[in-house]
Amino acid sequence: MKMIIGGAFQGKHAFAERTCGIHEGWADGLSCTLEDIYTCRGIRHFHEYVKMLIREDRDPAAFVQELAEKNPDIVLVVNEIGYGVVPMDKFDRKYRETVGRICEQLAARSEEVYRVVCGIGTRIK
Amino acid sequence: MLYVITGGSGSGKSRYAEQQILDLGPARRIYIATMHPYDEESFARIDRHRAMRAEKQFETLECYTDLKNLEIPSGANVLLECMSNLTANEMYEPGAAGEDTVEEILEGIRSVQKQAANLVIVTNEIFSDGIEYDPETVRYQQYLGQINQTLAAMADMVTEVVYGIPLMIKRTM
Repeated sequence: MKMIIGGAFQGKHAFAERTCGIHEGWADGLSCTLEDIYTCRGIRHFHEYVKMLIREDRDPAAFVQELAEKNPDIVLVVNEIGYGVVPMDKFDRKYRETVGRICEQLAARSEEVYRVVCGIGTRIK
Repeated sequence: MLYVITGGSGSGKSRYAEQQILDLGPARRIYIATMHPYDEESFARIDRHRAMRAEKQFETLECYTDLKNLEIPSGANVLLECMSNLTANEMYEPGAAGEDTVEEILEGIRSVQKQAANLVIVTNEIFSDGIEYDPETVRYQQYLGQINQTLAAMADMVTEVVYGIPLMIKRTM
């Protein structure tokens, strides 16, 4: 498993394509199904999938466990979203917290984690 | 040399950037200021910063838009601060670049690069608060993100400053 993290509009997906050599087989967290996540080579906008998970009130811990079993080589491209003021809205707070917790666990399982700033990735794990 | 320095607000990137210019030696030092003053507070802020930089022998040139037509003494070491202001100015000031902001600014940077001995650019990390802004603000983030990526690809060095600590993320020289 690999993770490419960073702020919005940093060129994370392009960096992931280059660095992981994956040019097709990407799922998009905005629109993909759970089955797509288990069969894809990489997923972009992973945080958007997490948002859907929360909306559907599914268990994040079970999802992480199942993802690690069914697609252990997946490349996850995900925004860092935790650098602002605590959101006023309850759902937004839960979303931010859940993305953080899930990514913390997935980063612990990843062999490589890169953080992208201005299009440049730094390997942080 | 092109050097891009980024970081969050209050990270100490301005001071770090000024120091990079000082370390380049005694050549003429030009500061390109991009913040358009609009009230008492910003005038006071600009005066204070100007005085601070005068001590370090920087000359200030104001440039809110149209960087590509700015004339700079040749062979100077130039500090441009801050890309996030310049981007907003080009996007929103009447008669400025609007939708052509990204290309307009990159053209401006190439023009400054040709005239200057060294160019240090300060930009801003505004991409990681997770807030879903209105479409116009997202467009601003998108433009600045594109500019940052292109500048970083062109640059000889890129540093992210975190609480005054420089993290060198690109060095080709």
